[in-house]
Amino acid sequence: MIERNVKVRNRAGLHTRPAAGLVKLAAKFKSDIYLVRDGFTINAKSIIGVMTLAAEQGCELVLMIEGEDEELAANELSEYFESGFGEL
Amino acid sequence: MVQIIDKKLLPKILTGEKNKFESNVGELIFKGIPSSPGLAMGKAYVLKPDNVVVRPKKIPQDKIPNEVERFDSALQVMVKDITDALEKVKGESPNVVAILETNLMILNDEIIINSVKERIFKGISAESAVIQEYDQQEQFIKKSKDNILKERSFELEHLKERLLATLRNKVISYTIPEGSIVIAQSITPTDVVNFKDAKVLGIITEAGGIASHSSILARSFEIPSVIGIKDLTWFINNHEKVIIDGYAGIVTVNPPDSSIETYKTKKAKEEDHKRELGELVKLPAETLDGSQIKIMANIDFPEEIEAAVIAGCEGVGLVRTENLVISLKSFPDEEVQYKWYNEITERAYPNPVILRAFDVGSDKYAEGMPMLEKNPALGFRGIRFLLHRDDIFRKQIRALLRASRNKNLKIMLPMISSVNEVEDSFKIIQECKKELEGNSIPFDNDVPVGIMIETPAAAFMADRFAKLVNFFSIGTNDLTQYTLAADRSNEMVTDIYDTFHPAVLNLIKNVIDVAKSNKIPVSVCGELAGNAAATGLLVGLGIEELSVTPPMILELKKRIREMKFKKAKKLAKEILECNSYIEVCKKLAIF
Repeated sequence: MIERNVKVRNRAGLHTRPAAGLVKLAAKFKSDIYLVRDGFTINAKSIIGVMTLAAEQGCELVLMIEGEDEELAANELSEYFESGFGEL
Repeated sequence: MVQIIDKKLLPKILTGEKNKFESNVGELIFKGIPSSPGLAMGKAYVLKPDNVVVRPKKIPQDKIPNEVERFDSALQVMVKDITDALEKVKGESPNVVAILETNLMILNDEIIINSVKERIFKGISAESAVIQEYDQQEQFIKKSKDNILKERSFELEHLKERLLATLRNKVISYTIPEGSIVIAQSITPTDVVNFKDAKVLGIITEAGGIASHSSILARSFEIPSVIGIKDLTWFINNHEKVIIDGYAGIVTVNPPDSSIETYKTKKAKEEDHKRELGELVKLPAETLDGSQIKIMANIDFPEEIEAAVIAGCEGVGLVRTENLVISLKSFPDEEVQYKWYNEITERAYPNPVILRAFDVGSDKYAEGMPMLEKNPALGFRGIRFLLHRDDIFRKQIRALLRASRNKNLKIMLPMISSVNEVEDSFKIIQECKKELEGNSIPFDNDVPVGIMIETPAAAFMADRFAKLVNFFSIGTNDLTQYTLAADRSNEMVTDIYDTFHPAVLNLIKNVIDVAKSNKIPVSVCGELAGNAAATGLLVGLGIEELSVTPPMILELKKRIREMKFKKAKKLAKEILECNSYIEVCKKLAIF
């Protein structure tokens, strides 16, 4: 299992559009992917889950990934966070 | 405009005191919230709400697989609807596509699908399972402090209702006759796409928010829309004649001939105007060699936003909030201000809006101000007044912060001339944030705060200010009068007051350079931004954002599209070396 700390960088936060992008990206991988915020865990393949995180700019989250393609998934997902969901 | 038979009622309808008026000739007039601008007349097509209450119905063990199958096939029908709608909007703006994709993702959300099925396995009907699961998800979202997310909870509600209707085989058909005006309780983004396909002329709903996805879609498809008219579906029958005014939010049912005549005159005017604007609206503000310029609008009242957005502005670069004070002849309380600011940000959403704190004083007086200053332009105005009357300032900041919850609001401070004015203002803003936080009132904690650069002091010290604030906006009118020591309202010195004076232009250049090296946005919102001769010069100086009055937007765009950035840059360089504004004007004339 891989754990990665990620940060929301874009101004508008993890709102609908980036949330949809995140779920789409997560769905590409076979691994189970979870996001944790202050002890609250959601499935990153669930759009409602990701939206309920209501993660605003500067918010720190933990990515938890387990499965055969966990390495690749961890890299691509952290990169997506790093790029501010393409909104920087 | 709609003719109101009893003229005494018009103000009441327009101010929302009354939202319905019935005349003796069967004409009905309703007032709602304008959510997509435009005028249309057509026949009503009413989508009656389906108000069947579903009670948790026990399902016998052997019927469970059947219920699961019913759910699966209802889901498939809806997925297909949205996929078809997506096909129809291919090539539309990415926003439109993203909205539908999100709907599709919610429906296809494995977590939700699995928990619905688990609920069915416990022995309840597919309908009950859908209601329980979607309601629970909705509760999750509603708990969020994020205003936009709360808006999204309506979408879950729509999807749920539609799923239930589909489960009961009550799929809404889109065999809507051409030329209809749809009247519904609420609609989904998918509906809007299908309405567009069915050439629906207007959309009127009982529910909905200006910032909802359905409203955004109606605006991007240019379908006039009015929302928020309670119980409307009960007042209108199919085939009744309806006039919708998406500018004013007024709906007229069964209009008499006189109202129809008024409508036709207005509609003809609207069409002339649209033709005039032509295709320019849809084209980007880009120079021939590909430099993008952001065109923003200066507005004084919320109603102006629609026209500005239609003309293709990318946000509001300046709202002069003192207009509120001037029109009311006193300083409005927090609630009145909040409503006004919130309406502006919602109408402009998702585009950004810069609201400038009250710039009263100088030539703009209001109650509670010293009336007689020897030299008001150099006197007690803008931030000087606000910091002195911090009771007024705090009320405004609180109202602005509350309206920032949509995350598209920026605050601008007027008449800054020294760093401590910014620091004192920030202290007040910080204290107001704390108060709101204490009362659990939502706001944008990262709301950008910028300053007007309109005094030579601010322009000279731009590098210090750039480290403190999030953006600059250059007010060329005041900057000119202060730099040249020439009162802009004194006709004896009009030949001295000239924004093209090299001193003013060099100051502007300094501000632009400082902003760029500090990576903060800088715009020009004074009259110079709309001056035909100045566009090339400003672009050449490196300005990437211009804010002008709405009627100027298209002309400005046209000019930008006809110029080359490289040539403009060369021109700007030459002009900065000129000795007088006469020389500058000569050079501009050649360009």
